[in-house]
Amino acid sequence: MNSIIFDNMSYAYPGGDAVLKNINAIIPPDSFTILTGPEGAGKTTFCLAIAGAVPGYFGGRMAGSVTVGGVKTTDIKVADLAERVGIVLADYDSQLLALTVAEEVAFGLENRGAAPETIAAKIREVLALVGLSGNEHAEVAGLSGGQRQRLAIAGMLVADPDILVLDEPASALDPEGTAELYRLLGELNRKYGKTVIVVEHCLRHVLPYANNLLVLQQGCLQLAGHPEDLLPRMLKEAVYAEAVPAEVKTIYAAAAGVRKEETRSA
Amino acid sequence: MESNKQEMVTYSPNQGGNNRWLTVTTLLLAVGAILKLVTPSVGGITPNWMIAMYCIAINLTRPTFGQAAGIGLVAGAVQIPLSKSAFPYGNLLSEPVGAIACALLLQATMKMNIGAFNLRPAITTFLSTVASGMTFITVMKLVLSLPLSVYLYAMMPVVFAVAVINMVLAQLLYFPAQKLFAARGNKA
Ligand SMILES: Nc1ncnc2c1ncn2[C@@H]1O[C@H](COP(=O)(O)OP(=O)(O)OP(=O)(O)O)[C@@H](O)[C@H]1O
Ligand SMILES: [Mg+2]
Repeated sequence: MNSIIFDNMSYAYPGGDAVLKNINAIIPPDSFTILTGPEGAGKTTFCLAIAGAVPGYFGGRMAGSVTVGGVKTTDIKVADLAERVGIVLADYDSQLLALTVAEEVAFGLENRGAAPETIAAKIREVLALVGLSGNEHAEVAGLSGGQRQRLAIAGMLVADPDILVLDEPASALDPEGTAELYRLLGELNRKYGKTVIVVEHCLRHVLPYANNLLVLQQGCLQLAGHPEDLLPRMLKEAVYAEAVPAEVKTIYAAAAGVRKEETRSA
Repeated sequence: MESNKQEMVTYSPNQGGNNRWLTVTTLLLAVGAILKLVTPSVGGITPNWMIAMYCIAINLTRPTFGQAAGIGLVAGAVQIPLSKSAFPYGNLLSEPVGAIACALLLQATMKMNIGAFNLRPAITTFLSTVASGMTFITVMKLVLSLPLSVYLYAMMPVVFAVAVINMVLAQLLYFPAQKLFAARGNKA
């Protein structure tokens, strides 16, 4: 129902060249997708396209289509789409954009005539979900990077979207914070059936939860599939191989070595 | 994946809706709610973050009285589950009073600055916090039929103490919040 489908989609920012080129991709509902690729590959633009901010908010030129839950992103108001797609962007300034994008929804519960008790209950529920309730004894200044990230996620969850898009959510987090964040996202995916899409350079912490991997390079979707199948190909075909975690590299290198041995002795 | 020539359709940008006041207010109220949750009480007194936040929001966005009442209602509603007070529903009255007071004060033409320094946030927040706090404790006194001495000597001083703390916080937070508000798009 809530598949995200990129159908031969290309996009250029106003006055620029295409930064996404002939993208064909299907992101199934309930999947946990990692989007990776080198700097400037178009990952953030890809996320914005799911939320309809590209082209709805930025303008520019687009070919093909992006369909979310059966509706083309260009046929629906960005604010309406935001009820289905929640997005947390990498930096604060862009997050403000996301808020603008979601503005009818941000307070939307109230706009839709929800009773104050419902709103309060929802806020409590969401804070509990991200583990921010029961924090009464923490220091004010002590909202850690991880907690702020959780707060951003809580903000996204208030509107109860089915699809969660997070652009480099772990960039400000230490390894423990990162592990914790992905545990939360994994749970939102498995227990609550949310479709999760994360942009990530360092695959180690997120791999255990993912069942879909997309590799973008210079605006082209180079590889797409299950991480188990893709990681060896990223190494073999040298497609953004630096993202593959060292442990995984060692395992595949060892496996490749064994295979070579076998062929030699055969 | 060959790059066949595609027909590109041009879209015009559509940045910022006309509900920025709502967005900024939401954001600040959410921050206020979180801060309320995590701020420890020092000698029985905690800042009232919700009031501080909506006063900042109202200073920034200059809503109509109707909008201000709405902001106050939501701020009050959000606090009910978070409140440690004996009668949290009082917030539903006291916060709209505080928010409308703030909006009213901002209509006042009197100068509220020292040189180039804008003191409006501090002054309006102090008075709004007093307005809201007095309403709240009066409602409490009536609903819980508290003795007058408690009202006068225990509750009123707290209102003023909180108002002073809020005044300082609002003034300090006003400038970063203003940056945030001005960061993108229009003032609606
Ligand atoms: N608002 C914009 N206007 C014009 N060009 C843009 C805009 N945002 C991004 N670009 C360009 O689009 C291309 C893709 O950028 P994008 O931010 O999507 O890449 P990315 O993969 O997210 O990169 P990073 O890893 O640095 O976050 C880049 O060449 C960038 O310069
Ligand atoms: Mg990016």
